[in-house]
Amino acid sequence: MNDDQILRIRGLHKWYGDYHALRDIGFSVKAGERIVVCGPSGSGKSSLIRCINGIEGFERGELDVCGIALGPTARDAQLIAVRRRVGMVFQQFNLFPHMTVLENCTLAPVSTKLASLADAQAAAMSLLARVRVQEHAHKYPAQLSGGQQQRVAIARALCMKPQLMLFDEVTSALDPEMVKEVLDTMVSLAEEGMTMVCVTHEMGFARRVADRVVFMDEGQVLEVASPQEFFDAPRHERARAFLGDVLRA
Amino acid sequence: MSFVSTQHIAPAPPPPDESGWAARARRLLFSSPASAAVTVALGVLLAWFGWKFLRWGVLDAVVGAGDAALQACRAAGAGACWAVIGEKHRLILFGIYPYAEQWRAAAAMGVLAVMYVLSALPRFWNWRLAVAWGVALAVFSLLMWGGVPGLPFVPDDQWGGLPVTLILATLGLAAGFPLAVLLALLRHSGRNGVAKSLAVAYIEVTRSVPLLAVLFLASVMIPLFLPQGMELSKLFRVFVAFALFTAAYLAEVVRGGLQAVPRGQAEAAAALGLTPAVVTLRVVLPQALRAVLPALVNVFIAFFKATSIVVVVGIFDLMTAAKRAAADAQWQGFGTEIYLFVAAIYFVFCYAMSRYSERLQARGVGAVR
Repeated sequence: MNDDQILRIRGLHKWYGDYHALRDIGFSVKAGERIVVCGPSGSGKSSLIRCINGIEGFERGELDVCGIALGPTARDAQLIAVRRRVGMVFQQFNLFPHMTVLENCTLAPVSTKLASLADAQAAAMSLLARVRVQEHAHKYPAQLSGGQQQRVAIARALCMKPQLMLFDEVTSALDPEMVKEVLDTMVSLAEEGMTMVCVTHEMGFARRVADRVVFMDEGQVLEVASPQEFFDAPRHERARAFLGDVLRA
Repeated sequence: MSFVSTQHIAPAPPPPDESGWAARARRLLFSSPASAAVTVALGVLLAWFGWKFLRWGVLDAVVGAGDAALQACRAAGAGACWAVIGEKHRLILFGIYPYAEQWRAAAAMGVLAVMYVLSALPRFWNWRLAVAWGVALAVFSLLMWGGVPGLPFVPDDQWGGLPVTLILATLGLAAGFPLAVLLALLRHSGRNGVAKSLAVAYIEVTRSVPLLAVLFLASVMIPLFLPQGMELSKLFRVFVAFALFTAAYLAEVVRGGLQAVPRGQAEAAAALGLTPAVVTLRVVLPQALRAVLPALVNVFIAFFKATSIVVVVGIFDLMTAAKRAAADAQWQGFGTEIYLFVAAIYFVFCYAMSRYSERLQARGVGAVR
């Protein structure tokens, strides 16, 4: 495997019961690359991104994430090792409601012994400042707006110093006026060179940030192209139909 | 019709509310003729009973102790004979614990009371509290059993009264609750396996057996299965039975809490690289337990009162002691006073638990919303 490849997916299949959700997925991601995964709902984008850090299992194929091989029968220890190197942000924020913002950010680094409590707090405060929510560090998530919560969720993931960040439709649950603040945070993260795989419907973001766009439909990858190629001259007929739908909106 | 603001409307205070107790009483009690009639009728009834009770319980009551008080109680027109409490409170509170040593039982209860108060204050919720409980239980045992110079040995079949009720309830919950959490986690877990099946079987079987049967089993049958020469005291066997029984009920309550925690919480915690144990202990359980706090306290209260059922296997708890006190030939006929006294003791503990859980929720310890 290439040394600068952070993620490699080969021949990945996933079923939910009889439903064949992912069919022979294969692509790889180099360090510093920004990948946007798009496609109609039900196309398997979320399932794919959730396989990458083992939140979902898969039945066939192999993954290589940050130098750790994951097969269909990966053990807990392997999954935990992968997850400590891969950050993930969810559509529903999933902040821990019984902890303050700061505690949300320090729980993982402290309990995985990545840092002492004092170091973790200092690191968390500087990351919270970077996503511009530092003044809310001692509040509970319910006291924050959706956009603020999502930025906290990004900071929380960054506290583990991940080599790869996964974003699963992180703006889909937000009120329209809060989408921008979250996207801006992601853009600045991209500009700093973070390796990112983003499932999103934000085509403006894809055009601006992505190195490559992965188009999925019915559990298959139909097209992998630069944003320019993808948006200006999509090769696959279903990609053209999809773009017609999302861009018209 | 439509209205378009032509100028900025400054925020105004809400219209004055009908406030004050008089207005509230009118709204609550006299909102309609029927409501007023019910209010008056019930009010008269309440006043009549209240007056009767006041005369019986306070105005005509006989306090004190001894033969003179007994004479007064037997006199015509006498109200409540609180003298029987004055006479029998040691028996009710401490049962057949040796009379001269009863200060030890009182001190042991004092230790428990201090620990209850400390445990109720969130600022003491750390590992030191667990150590303190260990020490407190050791002191409790030392005081109650004795067997060291200065403290003659008192076997636990001579323990009685309130200390027995308290220690049964405390240890029963202390042992039953962790077991309940474990059972709930096993039953809730996604992985089907032997452990999960055992947990389900345990909960279902235990819940379908009467507590009475479990107690008889513990006190009569277990000794038959023990190897020769090995003996477990009856109190210990009953404590184990209680803990095992309550665990099944608590487990179902805790499971309800686990189901109330969104899946995304555990996923987000796992995605951070936390081990399954940390995910459960730091993220899922705190939210689950808070969600079912009222139901948990409900089981706690029911359990506390259920300890009185040990009377059937001859453990001398508060209720048994009260029964014994009421059976005294010389003071016969004053069972009402004795049972009211015992009821008041149960009420204090149960009401304290209930109020405390309400405060805990309002304070938002581990607030969810």
